[in-house]
Parts: sequence; C-alpha cells; structure tokens
Amino acid sequence: MLDAWIDLARGPLLRLALLVMLLGLLRVIALQVYELVVAWRRAGDQYVPWRIVWRRLAGWIVPWRALRDGRRAPYSAASIVFHAGIILVPLFFAGHVAIWRSEFGVTLPAFSHATADVLSLAAVAALVWLLAARAANPARRHLSGLQDWMLPVGLLVCLGAGLLTSHPQLSPFDARAAYLVHLLTAEALLVFVPLSKLQHMALFWTTQASTELGWRFTPGAGMRVRATLGKEGQGV
Amino acid sequence: MTTTADAPPSQSFHRSKLTADDVQRRLRYIVEKDRLVLDDLPRRFLETFAAILTHSNYRQVVDNYARITARCANCAPSCQIYQHTHAPHDVPCYRSNLLLEVYRRHFTMRGLITTRLLGQEYLTEDRVLEMASTFYDCTACRRCTLDCPLGLDHGLITHLGRYVLSELGLVPRALVISVREQLEGATHNTSAIPLPAILDTIEFLGEEIRDEKHREVQFPVDQPKRDFVFFPAVSDYLMEAETLMGIALTMHVAGDQDRWTIGSQYFDGINYGLFYSDWILERVLQAELDEARRLEATNILIGECGHASRSAKAFAKTFGGADAPPVVHIIEYTYRAYKEGRIRFRPGAITERVTYHDPCNIARTGWVVDQPRELLRAFCSDYVEMTPHGADNLCCGGGGGTVSVDELRPYRTGVTGARKAEQLRATGAKYIVAPCANCKKQLRELCEDHGLDMQVVGLHDLIYRALDLE
Repeated sequence: MLDAWIDLARGPLLRLALLVMLLGLLRVIALQVYELVVAWRRAGDQYVPWRIVWRRLAGWIVPWRALRDGRRAPYSAASIVFHAGIILVPLFFAGHVAIWRSEFGVTLPAFSHATADVLSLAAVAALVWLLAARAANPARRHLSGLQDWMLPVGLLVCLGAGLLTSHPQLSPFDARAAYLVHLLTAEALLVFVPLSKLQHMALFWTTQASTELGWRFTPGAGMRVRATLGKEGQGV
Repeated sequence: MTTTADAPPSQSFHRSKLTADDVQRRLRYIVEKDRLVLDDLPRRFLETFAAILTHSNYRQVVDNYARITARCANCAPSCQIYQHTHAPHDVPCYRSNLLLEVYRRHFTMRGLITTRLLGQEYLTEDRVLEMASTFYDCTACRRCTLDCPLGLDHGLITHLGRYVLSELGLVPRALVISVREQLEGATHNTSAIPLPAILDTIEFLGEEIRDEKHREVQFPVDQPKRDFVFFPAVSDYLMEAETLMGIALTMHVAGDQDRWTIGSQYFDGINYGLFYSDWILERVLQAELDEARRLEATNILIGECGHASRSAKAFAKTFGGADAPPVVHIIEYTYRAYKEGRIRFRPGAITERVTYHDPCNIARTGWVVDQPRELLRAFCSDYVEMTPHGADNLCCGGGGGTVSVDELRPYRTGVTGARKAEQLRATGAKYIVAPCANCKKQLRELCEDHGLDMQVVGLHDLIYRALDLE
C-alpha cells in the first residue's frame, strides 16, 4: 500500500506539482514582464540605470553589506546557508538526480552523499535559527503572517524526512513512510510556490528594475487621476 | 485582477459617524478639516488607489512587492525611528505592508475571493487612519531600502500611500498651504515672499559681499540665454543669506558671473509634490521648466536643498521631455570649478571642528557624497565624519516634508531625530555643514531641543569664508 503511494507521489504527483509550480511561475513572470514593459513605455523618462540595478541585485545574491553589519550578519549568514541547501540539494543530490533522470529524462551532475548531508543539515540548522529569530524578535513576530510560520515548518518536515530517508538506519520510522512524507511535503511546497511569498524565486530578479520603473512617473498621470476622481479643475 | 478604476466616483456613499475631530485626534499633524473626505472613507480610499494604479506606473511595483515581501524585518535596524522606539509598528516593512495588504485584499483575485469568503471588508476607517498617521511618521529617507534583501523601496510605498491619502484630504495643512501659495498664490513660492522683497534681499546681499569681501558681486535677474537658471529653496532668501552669498561669490570668483541668472517669474526650488502628490510634483516642476525655457537657460541649477535637487534631477526629463535642461546641483558646480582650478581656498581657513551631514535626497544614491567632503577638507583643519555617513547616513529626522510641519516638532526632535542628535553629539563639532534647507531647520531644532552647542551652516556659508580672493 505504502509503495503504491510512493509510486504515485514519485511519479504523477511530482509531475503535477512541478507543472503547477512552473506554470504558476511562468504566469507570474509573464505578468511581471508585461507590467514592466507597460511601465517602461508609459514612463516620461525611459532611462533605466541597468548598471545600478544589476549591482544592487548582485549585492543581495552575495550580501556583503549585510554580512559586515553585526546586527544583520547572523540572519544573513543563516539565510545564505539555508538557500544554498534548499537550492542545491533538490537539484544535485544523487537520489534526486536519479529521479530527474528516470522521471523526466534530465541528466544533472550529482554531488556526493556526504556533501548532500552537510548541506541539508546546515539548511535545517539555519532554518531552525531563522524560525527562532522570527519568534524571538518582537518586530519580526509582529509582522509575521500564517505563511511565514507554515512555510518554514513545511520545509523543516520536508528536509527532516529527506534526511531520514537517506539514512534509514537512524530513522525511528519506517523509511518508506519518511520517504512518502518527504515527497508529499516537497510537492505541497512546490504547489505553494506561485501562491505564496516563495514567488520571490522568480520575482527577486525583477524587483530592482521594478523599483526603478516605479519611480519613472507617467507625464500627466496625476491630472488623469484627478479627472477620474471628478476633481478636474479643483485647486490644491 | 483589478477593480474598475476608470469608473466615476460613486455619488452614494455610506454616511459615516466619523467626524473631522475624530480624524484630527488620530493624527500628529493638523489637516484642513473642510477638505477631509469623511463619508465612506475606505471606499473613497479604494477608488483613489484604483485610479492611481490605473494611470500611473505604480501597479507593477506594488504587485511585485505584494507578492514577495518576506516580512523579515531586516530593515528594522536601519530605521532610526525603530532604533529609538523599538515598536513593531515602526518597522518600515510593517508600514509598507499596510498598503500592500490593501492591494492584496482589494485588487487581486485571491484577495477578492478571500474577502467574499470571510464576508468582511478588509479596509476600514481605522486602517485608513493608521496609514494616515504612520506614513507621516516615516521621513522617507530610504535608508531601509539599502537593507531589504528583496529590494523593496519603502520610500516609494510611503510616497504612494501619502499620495492616495492626500486625495482624501489626509495631508498636513502646512504642506498644502505652502503648495497652494506656490501654484495658485500671488507670489508663486512656498514662503509667500513677494518678488520686490526678493529683489531687495539680493541687492542687500550684494552690498554685504561688497562690504565684507570688497568684490562687486551681482545676483543677476532675468538674464536670458545664460548657462544656469538658479532655483534655491526660496526660504534661503529669508533664512540662509550666507549660503546665497557664498554661492554668488563662488560664481564670481570662478569667472561665471555672466553665466547664471535668477528668474523673476518663478524662483522657488521647493517641490513638496515629491513628498505627497504626483500631480503637484509635476506642476511645480513644470513651473521650473517653464522658467528655464522662458529664459532660454541651458541648465537648471539647484541650490543647497536636498529634495529640490532630487525632484528636479529625477523628474525633469519625465515631465519636461528628452530636451529638458540638465539639472546641476550647486555642489557639483562648485566642485567642478574647484577641480578646474577656477576657485581656490585658503587652507586652514576654518579652524573649528567641522562635520558634514548628508541630506538623504542627494546622498542615498551616491549622487553628492564625495564632492562636498573634498571641498571641506581643502579649507577645514579639523574635519570629522559622522558614523555612519555618505549613502548610509542617518536622516536629520525631518525628511519627507515633516520638517515643514511645526506641530510635528516634538516628534521630529524627540523620536525621528533622536539618533541623529546622538550622532552629532559624538562628533564634538562646532559646525554642522548641511547643504539642505530642510535639514538645516531640523538640525537647528535638534540642537535646541537636545542642548547641543553646535552651529548649523550650509556648505557655501563656509566656502564664503574660505574662498581665496587673492
């Protein structure tokens, strides 16, 4: 019974989850690019300082500024470690590479089991730290909504179950059950990507340009707003 | 998915129990009560927001931010208000999220479905008034923007939030009165200074320079086809005589006496539209551009004023087209004259300790950061930096137009400027150089309220004393 569920989760459900994620992200990207083009065409000044945009973007891919700041360094370091784990392990862990090959015909290079373990454990530790930091900091706690708690918890379950799957001798549970939990939580997270703040995996790349174009105003827009509101001809 | 933004405003609003006094009690600043929209405030807010999203370029950026914001509060340590209060509602991301949540709930399919399912409207009078309050707690200094991992510009959201609110009458009366005089009054400037008074002032300043420096320095007025038409913050004509004298003397010594002019039809660089309204921003800037075109000036030269500089530099081409005159900041001009050897300073002319305050609107992007420092080091024997400084500077505490709102003074000097006061005290400087009319006013009030024995001056005030006239 469990094996049938695993087959279902490893095959059709995984395909479905990936499809939902990819289509969802494609929609998000298409909408964003469309909006950016519209904004650029409407801008009175169409100059976009691309060098500054790329520099700022690069500055957050490797956040040197934050890492140098004593107050932000731990959070930023944890964030880097966490992101490294959840991006690299799903793609290049040998077990995952086998799935990409068998289910999708995609061949990716694989790194060693030990490397995957180190990255995964580091990601778990970083995620626990980030969650604790969110809970302990009154400002972060106050700001947090449901997804800010549920997504990390879901990721923790997924990562934990994945580690137990690859080390069945350490697992207090049936390794197949752990594997199923790993697959199902991963698929749930994939489905949530285009519906949650996880969209930042696609939109992060456009935000700096979006901000620049946000400041590129449209000539006459203010007066058209006034006209729409029935305030044409009204004074200050 | 959006609401119908182009629909005319509904004529049948719910009668609200909200009174102008209720609104006023929620705000630190005074509003014009007869301009307030009180009936069905949330719905009017949404109509205004929808109209702005339809006609402007904000939609793409609001949509982006609303999707990705991580609410990590990484911006909190960089906000000097939060640093002082440690209140969650002073985290920049919390403030921005107030508006972003309105967008999520009322302008997206998911939000509309959620609202229907839950059977309750998200936006309430209370939430509108919270925004009206908190968007004027923020000084729009944009320091937090440097520390947002996802690249959110909270200053942009503050500007947009204020813009929506201003159309409902939720805007400081002090700003509205100034802009009304500037755009619709007889004097066409925010300080309501009549042209004859300006002409008298500059004649007097010329005489002062002659008496003190023995140079015949002119403040040219309405000279056509000059390289620079000059727009200072108009309040400088009343409050900052030495700054203007320093600028005129610099021009004179650099051999550019005949390259600049002041316009008589429009001479105020202040543009409060940058703080709260796009249509006001455009109209004020058009007035500057019209004057530059009337005088056939090649460049627009902005005086020592941060927001006047940024509003002209960032939006001249937006509202004036590709052939709009280039915008030059007076410090850029002076720095170029210094580097070209057209002006010289007496080394050690200023012996007292000097520090430099970076106005956010010219420093945050790195536009004017190093130039004033090089100038100051050329004639100050004891120059010290604040920590932090440059693009990472702390705001004076009166940014975003709040310095012009007198009733905000206790908040400005007690909360938003508290960290700045500590920073100033730590320098032990005699002179704080602040090349911005707004920063100068705020820093003087900070010094008064915090008992700091320091003198706030403009950069050209010291240049006036240090220029080598031999």
